[in-house]
Amino acid sequence: MNRALFSGQRIPREYVLLPTNEYYRRRYRSSRRGRWWLLFAAALVVFTAAMGVRAEQAVDLNNTESGDLLFTGVGQGAYTPALHLASRARIGVRGLLAKVQLQQEFANQSDDWQEAIYVLPLPEQAAVTGLEIQIGERCIVGKVRERAKAAKIYKAALDAGKRAALLEQQRPNLFTSKVANIAPGETVRVQIRYRQSVNYESGTFGLHLPTTLTPRYIPGEIKLPGKATPSAGRKEEAGAELMPDSSGWALPTDQVADAHKITPPMQPAAELSAIGSHRITIAVELEGGLPLAEISSPYHDLDLNKRADGRYSIKLRKGDAAMDRDFILRWRPRPASMPRAALFTEQVAAVEGGESPGTYLQLLLIPPESRRATRQLPREVVYVIDTSGSMGGNSIRQARESLQLALSRLQPSDRFNVIEFNSRARAFFPRPVAADPANIQRVRTQLVGLQASGGTEMAAALRLALSQQMPGVDELVHQVVFITDGAFGNERALFELMTRLLGDARLFTVGIGSAPNRHFMRKAAQFGRGASVTIGDLGEVQERMQALFAKLENPLATELELQWPKGLKVEAYPRRIPDLYDGEPLQLVARVEGDLDGEIQLRGRLAGVQFVQKLALGKGGSATDTGIGSVWARTKIASLRDQQLQFGEQSDPGQALRGQILRLALEHQLASPYTSFVAVEERVVRPQGQGLSKSPLPNAVARGQVLQRQTYPRTAAGLSAQLLAAAGLLGLAGLLRWGRATHALRRCLRRLVPDVRRARSWQERQLGQVQ
Amino acid sequence: MRWRTGFSAVLLAAGLWQLGGAGWLLVKAHLAQYLVSNAWEERIRTGVRAKPWPWADTWPVARLRLPGEKALTVLSGSSGQALAFGPGLVEGSWLPGQGGEPRTTVIAAHRDTHFGSLAQLKPGTPIALQDSSGRWRSFRVVGARVVDSDREQLPIMAGPGLLLVTCYPFKAVDAGGPLRYLVYAEPLPGELAIRL
Repeated sequence: MNRALFSGQRIPREYVLLPTNEYYRRRYRSSRRGRWWLLFAAALVVFTAAMGVRAEQAVDLNNTESGDLLFTGVGQGAYTPALHLASRARIGVRGLLAKVQLQQEFANQSDDWQEAIYVLPLPEQAAVTGLEIQIGERCIVGKVRERAKAAKIYKAALDAGKRAALLEQQRPNLFTSKVANIAPGETVRVQIRYRQSVNYESGTFGLHLPTTLTPRYIPGEIKLPGKATPSAGRKEEAGAELMPDSSGWALPTDQVADAHKITPPMQPAAELSAIGSHRITIAVELEGGLPLAEISSPYHDLDLNKRADGRYSIKLRKGDAAMDRDFILRWRPRPASMPRAALFTEQVAAVEGGESPGTYLQLLLIPPESRRATRQLPREVVYVIDTSGSMGGNSIRQARESLQLALSRLQPSDRFNVIEFNSRARAFFPRPVAADPANIQRVRTQLVGLQASGGTEMAAALRLALSQQMPGVDELVHQVVFITDGAFGNERALFELMTRLLGDARLFTVGIGSAPNRHFMRKAAQFGRGASVTIGDLGEVQERMQALFAKLENPLATELELQWPKGLKVEAYPRRIPDLYDGEPLQLVARVEGDLDGEIQLRGRLAGVQFVQKLALGKGGSATDTGIGSVWARTKIASLRDQQLQFGEQSDPGQALRGQILRLALEHQLASPYTSFVAVEERVVRPQGQGLSKSPLPNAVARGQVLQRQTYPRTAAGLSAQLLAAAGLLGLAGLLRWGRATHALRRCLRRLVPDVRRARSWQERQLGQVQ
Repeated sequence: MRWRTGFSAVLLAAGLWQLGGAGWLLVKAHLAQYLVSNAWEERIRTGVRAKPWPWADTWPVARLRLPGEKALTVLSGSSGQALAFGPGLVEGSWLPGQGGEPRTTVIAAHRDTHFGSLAQLKPGTPIALQDSSGRWRSFRVVGARVVDSDREQLPIMAGPGLLLVTCYPFKAVDAGGPLRYLVYAEPLPGELAIRL
């Protein structure tokens, strides 16, 4: 130990080594490297801070004008989605029931963790019964939960970094599929199962699978959910999701509160196909049980393969197809074996949850055809043609063509009018006029000039169309024919309006385009006591319109009543049997308790003649495997939703119905407006530090339609980047030659700035002068 | 030591080049406004569309006055060339006094040249827009919002209104970011006769 340190002994000055000038110079020089680092670090911090500034949250927008979105086709700014999508549909048809497994593959092409958000179109009557996530060999099965609860479970899994999937129903034919935490480069498969009943009309069975949607017009004034008036705490539906979470291009309005959920970004199918995304493969196993005369698909080429057991394997000829149009499959039995009735049953055992044993029935009954030539009643028809922006491209041509054809069917004794609507509705005549050649010619010439642009204010058109005809004034049959793609977001409000204003008119819909809103078409025809046809191609106009004319002009089966054998407890849907148009069968699902024995009798009146159609219950039923139960529950939910329309969803009876739907959906494990599927993997996959990007997947623009897009301009010149680069470069240059630079600077300054020490102040000079 | 001098000189040159580039942008943005505003005055006077300089591929279509600032002359189109010289009227939008169905007027500009002050606009702030007949129309700021341009489309509505668009965040280095700052202003019914 050195004692000197503690004793405070004096050290002679000459022994002490004091730092010399040289020492300071060296030390100063060696710290230069440190300064370099300092500069580098500072520059890095500034740079990252500047780069990292991102908007945290949308500021408020409590405006604006009526929400008519007008887009012009600007072809620039195609962007590549971070996620690629491939779909695979496996459809099994047995009897009147189709079981579909729809697998969707989300492939993450980016370097970030992704959440996929995809607006999934499904058939409007689909009973969604399952959701699974498949990662490699593992499979996570989803469960049905109440909507808000499911969203909460999903959100928690999303934040925790677990893989999860959520399937929410937005419309009966529009779902949102979300998949959380897809690793960079990873592919996650989500499998959705649903069941639906097969359609039958005029001797042809049919099935469709939508692959995309027509962008829906959102009417009303923009209203953010956060500012919605909280009506007795019931705002979980609208208020749960704040705007920054939005994945659609539209903002919620007072008429469409979930606008942002049903308006996905759209991208041309060609652009998506070029990067190998949005392709679908379809395989159908068809077991019709009848010898078939024809199998066809109007918009796809098929490869048929008849197997030894009488089944057909059907595939797309090219392997896969772009997801830009509905897939439609039609099959027709041989005329000799055309059924008059069909019955399928499913036995259910008692469930300890309260369900008693019973049988689900699926029933098809075809009323007799009227052979007698009937006197045609004069009609008063109002044609309503949609000329909104979404009808651009082929759709408006199909619509014009169909209307031209419809005009040619009018008899001189008929009366008619034409209404054209987009942002507003315009009638060609103030009141329906006689269908004389002069009037028809006048309309024809006007039709040629119709262009598609503007919004889709359907409510205005509906009001105008239904106020044209005076009920009970004359002997005329009142008909309203809507020619539209159904691309609007306020369907339920329109149904409500329809039931209120309908009077004695009947409403028919002609669905136009490669991806029409079939939910609207079907329901409008149901509420309007009419019928619906769809036209997806210009070549189809003739054939499909003929089918519509047959319905418009032929007598219909009315006063239909179904009599069940005594002693059976029956809950059948549809509740009230609708009038049946030419070629339409009675399609019914029922839950029956008791012994299936005896026969069902369908009574009705056709062209003034009473008829009875009978079907034996006991032996006629061929038992299929499970599935009818789900279809029955789904049909019941639709029926309850219709009832809800009368009262409004928020009223007390409406809420009671909500409870009923919720119970039914949970019991049958179905997706519904109030229940969603959610699947969560227990494992945490995303490391805590890593962020998650949200990627709304685009839907392909339907074939023959025009992309409505308006992109934002680039609004930064990059001035700050240039200035920062300049500062950095100049700084570096200066540092490299710091000494010289300061020297030069000093010299320069010395020349420019006068030396203060030598200068005499003004006062001094004054004093000097005085002396 | 030799390499140091050389390297330093290279850095110095690059730095000056960048500085010059930035300066050139600013000079272009602010000097061009004089030429453009001359062309605009001429247009109002004569009623004939005038190009600010013979080889210009854009022309003035309106004049915009934000509070506390000199009036900016708005050019047609929102391409990079037009935006370098002044705010641009986005294609597909509408100008008051243009005729036809009224729509939203969408004006875009660079956040680092002309629209840097957009962040200061508060709800209620008046904005004035002069059309080619020389009439000033007033608007009042309703609100502002940040959008992700990758996800959302430009909300052009059927009805008069003024939408100012610029990049967001205002001080970001990255020039190609997807965020945009939107300011929406509603038209005021009475057209104030402001003459500058």
